[in-house]
Amino acid sequence: MYTIGLRYCGGCNPQIDRTRVVKDLREGLAKLQTAVDITTDRSRAVDLLLLINGCEHACLEEDYSERDGPIISVEGLMVDRRPVEEDDIPDILIRKILDMMSSSSH
Amino acid sequence: MMNGKEYIESLRGLNREVYFLGRKIKNVVDEPMFQPHIHTAAMTYELAHEPEYQEIMTAVSHVTGERINRFTHIHHSIDDLVKKVRMMRLLGQKTGTCFQRCVGLDGLNAVYVTSYDIDQKYGTDYHERFRDYLLQVQENDWMPSGAMTDARGDRSRRPSMQQHPDAYLHIKERLDDGIIVSGMKAHITGAVNSHEILVMPTRTMSEEDADFALSFALPADTEGVSYIFSRQTNDTRRLDGVLDGGNPKYGIVGGEAVIVFKDVFVPWERVFMAGEYDFTTELVETFAGYHRSNYGGCKVGLADVVIGGSNWIAEAHGVERSSHIVDKLTDMIAMAETCWSCTLACSYEGHKTPSGAYNIHPLLANVTKLNITRMVYEWMRLAQDIAGGKIITLPSEKDLENPEIRETLFECFAGKQGFSPLDIIRMLRLIENMSVGAGLPEAMHGAGSPAAQKIMIARRSGIEKKMELAKTVAGINRDDYFERIIGKDETTHWNEVKKKLRGRETEIY
Ligand SMILES: Cc1cc2nc3c(=O)[nH]c(=O)nc-3n(C[C@H](O)[C@H](O)[C@H](O)COP(=O)(O)OP(=O)(O)OC[C@H]3O[C@@H](n4cnc5c(N)ncnc54)[C@H](O)[C@@H]3O)c2cc1C
Repeated sequence: MYTIGLRYCGGCNPQIDRTRVVKDLREGLAKLQTAVDITTDRSRAVDLLLLINGCEHACLEEDYSERDGPIISVEGLMVDRRPVEEDDIPDILIRKILDMMSSSSH
Repeated sequence: MMNGKEYIESLRGLNREVYFLGRKIKNVVDEPMFQPHIHTAAMTYELAHEPEYQEIMTAVSHVTGERINRFTHIHHSIDDLVKKVRMMRLLGQKTGTCFQRCVGLDGLNAVYVTSYDIDQKYGTDYHERFRDYLLQVQENDWMPSGAMTDARGDRSRRPSMQQHPDAYLHIKERLDDGIIVSGMKAHITGAVNSHEILVMPTRTMSEEDADFALSFALPADTEGVSYIFSRQTNDTRRLDGVLDGGNPKYGIVGGEAVIVFKDVFVPWERVFMAGEYDFTTELVETFAGYHRSNYGGCKVGLADVVIGGSNWIAEAHGVERSSHIVDKLTDMIAMAETCWSCTLACSYEGHKTPSGAYNIHPLLANVTKLNITRMVYEWMRLAQDIAGGKIITLPSEKDLENPEIRETLFECFAGKQGFSPLDIIRMLRLIENMSVGAGLPEAMHGAGSPAAQKIMIARRSGIEKKMELAKTVAGINRDDYFERIIGKDETTHWNEVKKKLRGRETEIY
């Protein structure tokens, strides 16, 4: 199964509700019956890393800047450095995840 | 990279039209009224050559991989943002005044970020053009002035509604090979001693103001461009001698000028925005953010000088141990370091933009500058308090040189033994220069008046999120984490608590 490693930043002063974004993302993927396993277990090998940063400073990006392999990063009101509305973030993530899944299966 | 001397010599090659005190100034470089400003800008070049400052004063270009002066660098990391404000403090300490070159630096970064975003939306090639321009700036080590503020006439009316069409710089004509522009930019720092002018719009523009949504760069001596140099407090003292100027080497504020553009041709390769009014907010706010963050560096460098000067004068007058003097100096230091903390914070909390360049934290940058608009006045007030009324009643240098009264005056201004009266006068003049004159309104209005910072702070405060926090703590919103701690829902929990309290109420009352 396609595995997504989920990482949260420390959440000191977030611009977005990080847990709601992830909840809506999980529900959205479930509705599409997409077979993905989202895990916060840092010891597991994953196909994709999803960084949930509460603001544009994006502390997590520093931690994972050396990582090989695909990453999607939410940076407060940005996803992969594109400005977004908070409510649109789950859908944007679903689209990106589906793209990555299809390119990895080719 | 040029050194200080080479920078000054490089200005001789520019033949620009400059007016000051009713005269046309033919030789800008040797004009005594301009020289202090030129020396200050030269410091930004000189220190880049000194091994003890290179770590801060230089950077590696992301375009060429070559070492360049940091004033031409596009910030590509948090470390770059932090070093930028360290550079500002350092130069404030070395000159005690505005060293001018940061406006162009902020303009370069803001246009870099915004031109990328315009291209993403419209498929234009502004960013590519700007990178070519940036390469020239870096290779030639140019100092561009940053020309954002338009004359603006009636502030309540939009640019296109002004009585005088030139109140805002605008496109008059679009040609195959470029544009023709007219208008005026006011208060432009370092304008008469810059190699280039980098133009940006001054405010958010709407569709009807599309011709005012304009960014470009030109050589400073382009035909049709002229400059009217501004006055500063006590400026003609520079013509009276050395001492009375207060800071004769480096002057006061940055040496501002009105820049007039009369039917000036700008080739397309030097145009970075021409009508994309929907990106004016981004360009203005990005520039303002970078620029406001600087003030927590440069003005704190100036504070270091004025605090040192105040302490020295207190010693010379024999009051340095007095508790109220120690208290005032401590207040000055605490305020300066508060501003420094703000600017470090807005740099460390910076972020990467889609262009790859790094931007500061906008909310914190605006807080930095808002503090500066208040605290500079306060620490300068304390400097005046400590230095005494002599800062505005000292006799002139010419009287100090007059053998008939010289010794009497030295007796009058003598302090504690071991301090030369002439040095005391020198220091008092410096404190006068820094605390009485143009440096104060510069702290108020430079990089935008306080109201502009408040607007940005209000807009970026995340007030909705703060209300949610309050509602959760107050018990209006559900508090998931609290429920996890107590292991049940809140209503059940409080019902149980109330039940337990029932017996104890009678015990207390
Ligand atoms: C020393 C110095 C150096 C500078 N260097 C540069 C430079 O290098 N480049 C550059 O581009 N600019 C520069 N500036 C310009 C600076 O950004 C402006 O001074 C600042 O934006 C305020 O504009 P103003 O001075 O014209 O004041 P005004 O706009 O006349 O402001 C006066 C008051 O009116 C208020 N006000 C103005 N407009 C409105 C409005 N529409 N609605 C409500 N209130 C309003 C202001 O908040 C303020 O309280 C410099 C300024 C100074 C003092």
